[in-house]
Amino acid sequence: MITGGTLPLTAYDDRSYTRGESVERAEVGALVRSAADGDAAAWKALVEGLGPLVWSVVRAHRLSDADGHEVYQTVWFRFAQHLGRIREPDKAGSWLASTARNECLKTLKNLNRLMVTDDPALLDRVCQDSTPEQAVLDSEEAAAQSERIRRLWQEFDKLGDRCRRLLRVLMASPPPSYQEVSAALGVAVGSIGPLRQRCLKRLRARLQARGAT
Amino acid sequence: MTDDTRDDREERDDDCEDAGAGGLEDDLLEEELRQAAAVLDPVPEALRQVAVDAYALYDLDARVAELTFDSLTDALPVRGAENVPRMLTFQAGELSVDVEVGEDGLMGQVLPPRPARVEVLSGPGPVTVLTVDELGRFTGQAPPAGPFALRLRTGGEVVVTEWLRA
Repeated sequence: MITGGTLPLTAYDDRSYTRGESVERAEVGALVRSAADGDAAAWKALVEGLGPLVWSVVRAHRLSDADGHEVYQTVWFRFAQHLGRIREPDKAGSWLASTARNECLKTLKNLNRLMVTDDPALLDRVCQDSTPEQAVLDSEEAAAQSERIRRLWQEFDKLGDRCRRLLRVLMASPPPSYQEVSAALGVAVGSIGPLRQRCLKRLRARLQARGAT
Repeated sequence: MTDDTRDDREERDDDCEDAGAGGLEDDLLEEELRQAAAVLDPVPEALRQVAVDAYALYDLDARVAELTFDSLTDALPVRGAENVPRMLTFQAGELSVDVEVGEDGLMGQVLPPRPARVEVLSGPGPVTVLTVDELGRFTGQAPPAGPFALRLRTGGEVVVTEWLRA
């Protein structure tokens, strides 16, 4: 019996998570079916569990805030619209990721057409300030960790496009499966592991060069 | 950009890396990135709420008209032309909807021609009703800002076009 509100939280908080073939994905399928049967709590659980993945895909494509927000909404509106017709409910994460990717690519294509790619917001993304979590981090006892996270984020943001895009999707919470990453970026599942390894190594090298180990 | 040059070289040098040793270290670094993203770039609260509310758009009784043509991706760009209207075609079985979205607004037609009630949805909230003539031709004053869908009521049936951005 699916009770929506509580089940997915325990599933997603499970730290013994293994990538790509986890119990959690079966839960996603169950949640999709419950939501399609009218369970609003199941829908909310899907938003909590897969929203960060959709957001990561949007951010990985470096859209402006306005465009990114609209893409995010469009993806969820379309998911709600197709809820009762999703062919493989277990793969709803991949469905969302690939829908988000397509909308991002469309947006970028439209921008190119309109020749406004010199929009500084596109070329020079800076991370957002003042989230509630950040306020906590800014308290004195957490200052050191905050600084560490900031440096990590800065170095991540300076990585080349390919690495930055891949890592931004991989760092969604809970961790996406490689099938979802593949759908989000249009790359073969088999290429993700080696690329991930290379990108993390480059990030580590950057951090060490800054003396921030 | 010296950094980029160095990165490119590193990318080539890394190719023969031993996969086993760095596995745990990689997992830890990725986990740190995950924490950083949760703090520095989380899903904005307002968007999270919009997604939760989007459940109201789930409508089992409506047929979905799929996007089958989009001039943005399916047509060759018109060289030198600016502000070309976006042409969209949606299809649900035998029924199709042609829509043109330009700067001045939105116009379109239900095909085969038939009377219909046409509403513009812009989210889970209120709708805008468009003027439709007896042949199913409709016009809207302003182009939709942000995501939109059209809901058609015709002959006892409800059809909703796939959500997309104008």
